Amino acid sequence: MKGKSFIGVAELAAEAAKILSELGLVQERGTVRDAPDERTILYYLSEGLIAPAEDKQGTASVFGYLHLLQLLVVKKLQSEHLPIRKIKELVEGRTERELERLLGRDEKPREKNEAINYLESLLTSKAYAPRQSLPSLPASPQPSPQQRQQAGGSSWARVEIEPGLELHVRDDYEPPREARRLQRLADTIIQSISRGLGKQGR
Amino acid sequence: MKIVPKIEFLLERAQLEAGRDQTVDVLVRITPPDTDSVIGRRPKLNFGIVLDRSGSMGGEKMERAREAASYCIDQLLPVDRLSLVIFDDVIEVLIPSQLAEHKAALKERLAHIYARNSTALHEAWVRGGMQVSEHLTDGAINRVLLITDGQANVGLTNTDEIVTQAMGLFQRGVSTSTIGIGEDFQEDLLMPMAQSAGGNAWHVKRAEDLQRIFSIELEGLIAQVAHTVTLGLIPSDGVRLSDVLNDFEMNETGRYKLPNLQAGSSVDVLVQLRVPAQAAGTKRHLLDLRVGYTPQEAASAEVVKQSLEVEFAETSSVKALPVNEEVEKVVRMLMNARARREAMAHMDRGDYVMARQVVTSALSASMPLFNSPAATPEVMEERQQLEEIESSLTNRSEDKMTRKRLFYESYLRRNSKRQ
Repeated sequence: MKGKSFIGVAELAAEAAKILSELGLVQERGTVRDAPDERTILYYLSEGLIAPAEDKQGTASVFGYLHLLQLLVVKKLQSEHLPIRKIKELVEGRTERELERLLGRDEKPREKNEAINYLESLLTSKAYAPRQSLPSLPASPQPSPQQRQQAGGSSWARVEIEPGLELHVRDDYEPPREARRLQRLADTIIQSISRGLGKQGR
Repeated sequence: MKIVPKIEFLLERAQLEAGRDQTVDVLVRITPPDTDSVIGRRPKLNFGIVLDRSGSMGGEKMERAREAASYCIDQLLPVDRLSLVIFDDVIEVLIPSQLAEHKAALKERLAHIYARNSTALHEAWVRGGMQVSEHLTDGAINRVLLITDGQANVGLTNTDEIVTQAMGLFQRGVSTSTIGIGEDFQEDLLMPMAQSAGGNAWHVKRAEDLQRIFSIELEGLIAQVAHTVTLGLIPSDGVRLSDVLNDFEMNETGRYKLPNLQAGSSVDVLVQLRVPAQAAGTKRHLLDLRVGYTPQEAASAEVVKQSLEVEFAETSSVKALPVNEEVEKVVRMLMNARARREAMAHMDRGDYVMARQVVTSALSASMPLFNSPAATPEVMEERQQLEEIESSLTNRSEDKMTRKRLFYESYLRRNSKRQ
């Protein structure tokens, strides 16, 4: 359908009528026609619901896929009782893709791997550098000291301080040099550990 | 069998007073067919659990989470699918998506979960989503259940982005529910995430409640008869839509987004209309309503429509009509839900005095309902919850939990959900 031209309002009306009947869109109010006739299309053009034709062939205007989509969306939204003013807001300035979405949101069958493609695209952002994959099973009961992992695009080292206590250190981390700041860091660590133990009821 | 929800309009009194402009509360009750008529129609489940095993999940929480996952495996039918992704800063697919046929072997794998490091929540959700998406089944409920007690602190952590992505995945057929445990999880992330992703948000205060919430989530999935539910309201000429007390979000065509429909559970929507004065004896059409929904096993949306027509009568005869207490109750509960959101906003600004004042006012406005002889257990629970919040707002050490309660209880009321 993309790239197809409709010569004159009559051809555009005929194509829209065909698609509307396939979609089963029925208008309920007596004032709104099921399929748009030529007069209705001229009215939509004058109201700006359909963009003006860009080309002419003789005296006839040449419409394209965008115009057809605009017309179909107008009829769909009318079948949902939306007033013309609101429909104009929704249709005006929309791209073909946006109009397709407005038209087909509920009716279009889902493509099976659309969800997977989407999720894969979320992981290609720079927040996620390739990481070492872990075996599914068995999970090792305790990670080894000094084990390095890739997480969130940066590298972290796990350092055992004493049995039962590990620190996680990012590779670009530099410890403070001043004694006062070092002391403050040690205090923060001790407080965090106490809070953590308190929370677990120990 | 065709799923057609029943739509009822309930007014405080069956007629309206003639001769004056007025605001009318209309309770719209949307009820899908009950369980008996959908029995044997349980949709297949394609279920992916994403479980936080970061350090703070250690001890009882992890033990309860294992029990809950084990309970979940027991409830599945051999045609259902299950996957389990566990995460801290590293993500592991502990159970790749598979049919729930060998339950003992599946449960045995749960023993390998133990608590460890920090929380790569976003990536874990993506990986769990992939397990479900690889077996995306039309007509089935394709859902990820994310369970965490902490904050996303590795990888993508931006709340708005994660919420938008969850909505994006829902638009592609996979919904997400969330369970936040305790007082340290991010309610500003988990609750909007579930809401925008067609799932449920749950708050489990104590680890021992985890299994109960799991069973509510599963029962809800099994009873789900329709999703992508929208409500359009078209007032008649001269009538104005002044409010929808549920504060539902709107979609791009100006329709309200409603929760999924579950067999046997109604969704209550409270609509306020401004109606101009009418002469006694007049019958007036006030509102057209349109509920759009996608039945669980259908690919396309269906619509059910209803109109509200009301008769006007002299004040004295209207006053003599019986009052529908259900309408009064729903109005009050939704106003209280609003009060909770308002109190939360005051808390966020550090104004605890105002936050408490809002809750106190909601309590006193609710007293006639609480003291009514017909008060239901739900109403009594509402009273208890508001009193607890009023008291906890005097204690700064309880702020984190209080804010979660305000957020969560408001969410439950607005969406006609019970826990």
